[in-house]
Amino acid sequence: MKIVVCVSHVPDTATKIVVGSDNKTIDANGVTYVLNPYDEIAVEEALKTKEAQGGDVVVVSVGPDNNKESIRKALAMGADSGVLLKDDNYRDSVGVAKALAEEIKAQDAQIVFFGKQSVDYDNSIVGQLTAEMLGYNCVSVAVDLKLDGEKITAEREIEGGREVIETSLPAVITCQKGLNEPRYAALKGIMAAKRKTIEEKDAAVSENSVEILEMKKPAPKEPGKIVGTDSSAVPELVRLLKEEAKVI
Amino acid sequence: MITKTNPDEIQSYLVDAANFKGNCSAVYFPETHDDIVEIVKEANNNKTEITVAGNRTGLTGSGIPSKGIVISTEKLNRILEINKDKKYAIVQPGVLLSELQDKVSEHGLLYAPDPTETNCFIGGTVATNASGSKSFKYDATRNFVEALKIILPDGEQLNLVRGENFADGNTLILKTESAKKITIELADYKMPSTKNAAGYFSKPDMDAIDLFIGSEGTLGIFSEIKIRLIDKPENILSAVIFFNDESSALNFIDDLRLSSLNPKEINNSENINVLGLEYFDKNSLKFLESDYPKIPDEADAAVWIEHETNKESEERIFNSIAESINKHNGNNEKSWFALNLKDRKGFQDFRHAVSWKVSEYITKQNVQKVGTDSAVPVKHFRIFYDYIKGLAINSKIAYLVYGHFGDCHVHLNLLPKNNDEYKIARDVYRLICQKAIDLNGTISAEHGIGKLKHEYLEMMYGRSAIKQMAKIKKELDPNFILCIGNIFSSKYLIDQKL
Ligand SMILES: Cc1cc2nc3c(=O)[nH]c(=O)nc-3n(C[C@H](O)[C@H](O)[C@H](O)COP(=O)(O)OP(=O)(O)OC[C@H]3O[C@@H](n4cnc5c(N)ncnc54)[C@H](O)[C@@H]3O)c2cc1C
Ligand SMILES: Cc1cc2nc3c(=O)[nH]c(=O)nc-3n(C[C@H](O)[C@H](O)[C@H](O)COP(=O)(O)OP(=O)(O)OC[C@H]3O[C@@H](n4cnc5c(N)ncnc54)[C@H](O)[C@@H]3O)c2cc1C
Repeated sequence: MKIVVCVSHVPDTATKIVVGSDNKTIDANGVTYVLNPYDEIAVEEALKTKEAQGGDVVVVSVGPDNNKESIRKALAMGADSGVLLKDDNYRDSVGVAKALAEEIKAQDAQIVFFGKQSVDYDNSIVGQLTAEMLGYNCVSVAVDLKLDGEKITAEREIEGGREVIETSLPAVITCQKGLNEPRYAALKGIMAAKRKTIEEKDAAVSENSVEILEMKKPAPKEPGKIVGTDSSAVPELVRLLKEEAKVI
Repeated sequence: MITKTNPDEIQSYLVDAANFKGNCSAVYFPETHDDIVEIVKEANNNKTEITVAGNRTGLTGSGIPSKGIVISTEKLNRILEINKDKKYAIVQPGVLLSELQDKVSEHGLLYAPDPTETNCFIGGTVATNASGSKSFKYDATRNFVEALKIILPDGEQLNLVRGENFADGNTLILKTESAKKITIELADYKMPSTKNAAGYFSKPDMDAIDLFIGSEGTLGIFSEIKIRLIDKPENILSAVIFFNDESSALNFIDDLRLSSLNPKEINNSENINVLGLEYFDKNSLKFLESDYPKIPDEADAAVWIEHETNKESEERIFNSIAESINKHNGNNEKSWFALNLKDRKGFQDFRHAVSWKVSEYITKQNVQKVGTDSAVPVKHFRIFYDYIKGLAINSKIAYLVYGHFGDCHVHLNLLPKNNDEYKIARDVYRLICQKAIDLNGTISAEHGIGKLKHEYLEMMYGRSAIKQMAKIKKELDPNFILCIGNIFSSKYLIDQKL
């Protein structure tokens, strides 16, 4: 079975983001990029699926040359090969999905794993868009997955509980924390990854339907207020909680 | 200045990470240098004992009072300066190590001392000469302390800058800011060649600042600390390698230690030059199993290894370490390699978890820590390791071994279940200390002596050496008020015959 994992290459959440001088992009200076954390879960699920069912795991990413770093990480974890769909310009989620759908079709993949969201733009949409374009079934935000022949039983998180979904291949699964514990790369995997190739091709052309007009940081949080250090401050604290914060 | 006397509020100042418990009448929270001077002067007049507290992560009771008052340094928590060009920082003693590391990192710099517990204060690390997983390459805290502003037990201020004041043979003259002269006769014992945190630093012609580093609060209180910084490495290779038998793991460590020994602190050499080699025995791995299900079942031992790299050296270093792993039959399918900062932090947490869980265990069992802190010279290391492991097995008490094996520094922790086992554990501990001494090593390589390890320091240096240490303290603290009971018992101060 052909298994595809789609991965994005995102600014590490620990880095401090600075908006660029054009007010539309981030300043890439000093920003480290990593494999999107949810996509690590997607890679792990793809590898587990391969271990259980056999098959080949292909890692696909849309974006500039640097995305190869994240593809390589997935290869070191154990994926079999990589494809970079090259595009050096900003692409919106629909554009990313279009490029991915075309490649997935070409690969004839039966099951496709995504992260539930990419921690850069946080749209949580590329997986679902891709499924729609391909006409595949889709389970988003999956926290449990069982594959039995063509049959899929998955659980997803919903407000206040879990929902069990039954569907069948071909399908797109977007992966949520809790689905598995991604493995670390092992020596053998890293060595093998050096020999694996990353195929490069241009991403399918796509017009952006989303334009970024402006990027700005959210207003900083107001600093906390200390009303006193002993019991004499209690009445004032109660008044503020009532009148200002309106929580009691 | 805040003072607390309510027993509920001062409870947390009366126990440390070794579960050592104490007593005091009040805790003071100075916010400036002058606040400390004021407290110290008054205590000196009234002969009230003062214990200086860092963040109480110590493992020897040194930050815990027996009586008197506590000076907590937690409000002295400002980083006063980070100088990127000259690569230094000036901090107050209550700055958290983890905060300092993060802040200097933002400037592209590294503060290299890295005790496993980063929730400690810089003041505490200087007072115990703390070291950690990178000390194999960079040495202990001492190597990074450039200047100290010190308040002496009589309230006098002493400013020491590395390289400015040396002893003449064994005679050291200190001059305070008010021009008071204090003459100190240094001790004449010979310190071991290993990493060491046992007793006062002592060497003919030594730098005055070294007497205070590692003095466990007994000679003065640091109110300002200037530390040396280095360039942050471009990248770090970090891996936890699992081995199916212990001797392979130890051989792997021996190999990498040997190829790393010289030259240290120089990058881009042709050699392998590891930052550290941290060892975990099978029992440690079992101890961590429930929190770390990714530990392979068949693992008998593990080594966490770190090495600085850059774009140009990355490939060579990786290949060379990979070769060693294969040579020593490391598990190349299930060992862990970090591919990003998050993984690296994960390995650091993994190492911290084993020490931390031991502290948690003993607190739960309500016994004191029985964990060795010994290091021995490289050539005796394997003899030492086999001997102490034999002792632990024979004792029939649960135990685990981990440690900074690059520095031949072993934390063997016995985990007694009851008081009878605790007594046996103490005997085993004593035998281990004796062996370390016989092999020209130390009984404490990093945690210090505090209030828990007096008798072993006596075994190591002999009574006359302890008397010499007490004499140094008397010179600086004639009223015996500061951190009494740390390093040696107060009987050495009071009893004229000793
Ligand atoms: C600073 C910056 C620079 C960028 N530069 C480029 C660029 O030069 N060229 C370009 O084409 N895009 C670029 N992008 C877009 C980026 O690669 C992602 O495609 C985009 O951020 C997806 O965000 P999203 O919120 O729509 O994804 P979500 O819908 O939140 O993502 C859900 C899942 O979809 C998959 N996915 C998302 N994006 C991709 C992808 N690109 N490739 C494969 N799978 C993916 C992952 O599995 C992910 O977990 C850039 C983004 C940023 C923040
Ligand atoms: C899980 C765990 C792992 C650990 N790993 C390591 C390790 O790898 N390496 C290592 O070296 N240690 C280790 N330790 C021990 C401990 O973290 C260190 O000894 C640390 O340096 C203590 O700092 P602290 O701020 O907690 O000091 P405290 O424990 O509060 O005090 C320690 C000593 O410093 C003195 N002191 C504090 N501030 C001052 C000051 N301003 N002036 C003068 N004296 C002062 C105190 O009087 C006391 O004698 C570990 C502890 C734990 C719990």
